[in-house]
Amino acid sequence: MGVTCVSQMPVAEGKSVQQTVEILTRKLELLGAEKQGTFCVDCETYHTAASTMGNQGQAGKLMYVMHNSEYPLSCFALFENGPCLIADANFDVLMVKLKGFFQNAKANKIESRGTRYQYCDFLVKVGTVTMGPSARGISVEVEYCPCVVANDCWNLLMEFMQSFMGNHTPGNPSVFGNKHDNIYSPGDTMAQYMELFNKIRKQQQVPVAGIR
Amino acid sequence: MAEGVLSPGVNLEAFSQAIAAIQALRSSVTRVFDCLKDGMRNKETLEGREKSFVACFQESLHSVSRDLSELERLSNLVGKPSENHPLHNSGLLSLDPVQDKTPLYSQLLQAYKWSNKLQYHAGLASGLLNQQSLKRSANQMGVSAKRRPKAQPTTLVLPPQYVDDVISRIDRMFPEMSIHLSRPNGTSAMLLVTLGKVLKVIVVMRSLFIDRTIVKGYHENVYTEDGKVDIWSKSNYQVFQKVTDHATTALLHYQLPQMPDVVVRSFMTWLRSYIKLFQAPCQRCGKFLQDGLPPTWRDFRTLEAFHDTCRQ
Repeated sequence: MGVTCVSQMPVAEGKSVQQTVEILTRKLELLGAEKQGTFCVDCETYHTAASTMGNQGQAGKLMYVMHNSEYPLSCFALFENGPCLIADANFDVLMVKLKGFFQNAKANKIESRGTRYQYCDFLVKVGTVTMGPSARGISVEVEYCPCVVANDCWNLLMEFMQSFMGNHTPGNPSVFGNKHDNIYSPGDTMAQYMELFNKIRKQQQVPVAGIR
Repeated sequence: MAEGVLSPGVNLEAFSQAIAAIQALRSSVTRVFDCLKDGMRNKETLEGREKSFVACFQESLHSVSRDLSELERLSNLVGKPSENHPLHNSGLLSLDPVQDKTPLYSQLLQAYKWSNKLQYHAGLASGLLNQQSLKRSANQMGVSAKRRPKAQPTTLVLPPQYVDDVISRIDRMFPEMSIHLSRPNGTSAMLLVTLGKVLKVIVVMRSLFIDRTIVKGYHENVYTEDGKVDIWSKSNYQVFQKVTDHATTALLHYQLPQMPDVVVRSFMTWLRSYIKLFQAPCQRCGKFLQDGLPPTWRDFRTLEAFHDTCRQ
């Protein structure tokens, strides 16, 4: 669990999501990265059920339950600005039992699937973000495995991202700002994915001319 | 092979002379037939023609017999090549006719040539390397047991308490570096140096001399299954494998047989410069990454960061 940066790659002008992903993977392969299988990150949304609201009339909180193929035995549960829980895979079954308190918004299920590349000590995952049947965007995750302190290797990560993402290199992720010198954990990666998915959900759907 | 080696019984000079004699014989026989072909020359009287023809013919026949006897004499001098194979058993391989399917003999010859060359080069290399002695032991090779070794052997037999003291003093020198000493395998100290949150270094010592180091990531496991410090397995990351190589180079660079504690101190000072392994750009090219690696080399005098390919 090295320092990871998750960002969105905008779809190229006049091209579809699929084609942009291909351009990116070709650039990676030219750089010398090796393909190492596939990855999948998915996210389900749960609303706090109305019956538990009580008298205070708080706004319903949204809870996200996420899985990452990099950590196949774990399940991550996060609130928007709140704590992140890392549990084992049986947590999904627990959520079924807690149907009375948390209701699954099945239409909001969003996931990112794609290929995993390795270059020296870097792990790059380029995925297509899909919600239901439609592709909504492209996610790029870059992990520098040897380093565990976020602020140490940000410049290094950025230099690497610039070599294949060009102008679309993202800025400093917000999770890094809170870390100071703490050790980076997988929960931070999932928080970044959650932010990305929320951003994509709010975006307009990619124009039809590009999709097919 | 047999090139350059005279096999016994063959006189090479007589051999070349015999070849020349064969050529002379051939030309004289050609002359006989030419003479016969030309026939009688045009002279005044028939007798004159016949006489000159016969004289010419006789002369050519004499030269033929002269050359032939010369050849016979030389051929006796040449002698027979010895029946024994000068190549002994390996020469029997060359009698195998299937050359393209089993080119054993030519491969064998190449293997021998290669190993001879290798031996020669190894001899040259060892001569050159011995000029720069990198020995860190007190005894010298080949010194007889009676003669006393020149270097002081006392620094090799230091009391463990002294070693502990030196290490704990160095531990307190730098705030971001912590050193933990253990002796799981006899009197050799094993140090586990933790540098900030960047890396961990396992140092195996022999009294106060540093023997080996292994550099691993901060989050990598440094213990074996039974809780001892793992001194053998390499890091999983290329950057730390590179830093391990550089650390081994540093071990060989910082050497002072008489004052080993100064050596340990300088090594630790050098190691401490790695606290900024991921933050410092290369002093030469200004970039952070070269082939996917950050600047892993630290200059021994100035402690500046360089990429492995950028260092002078």
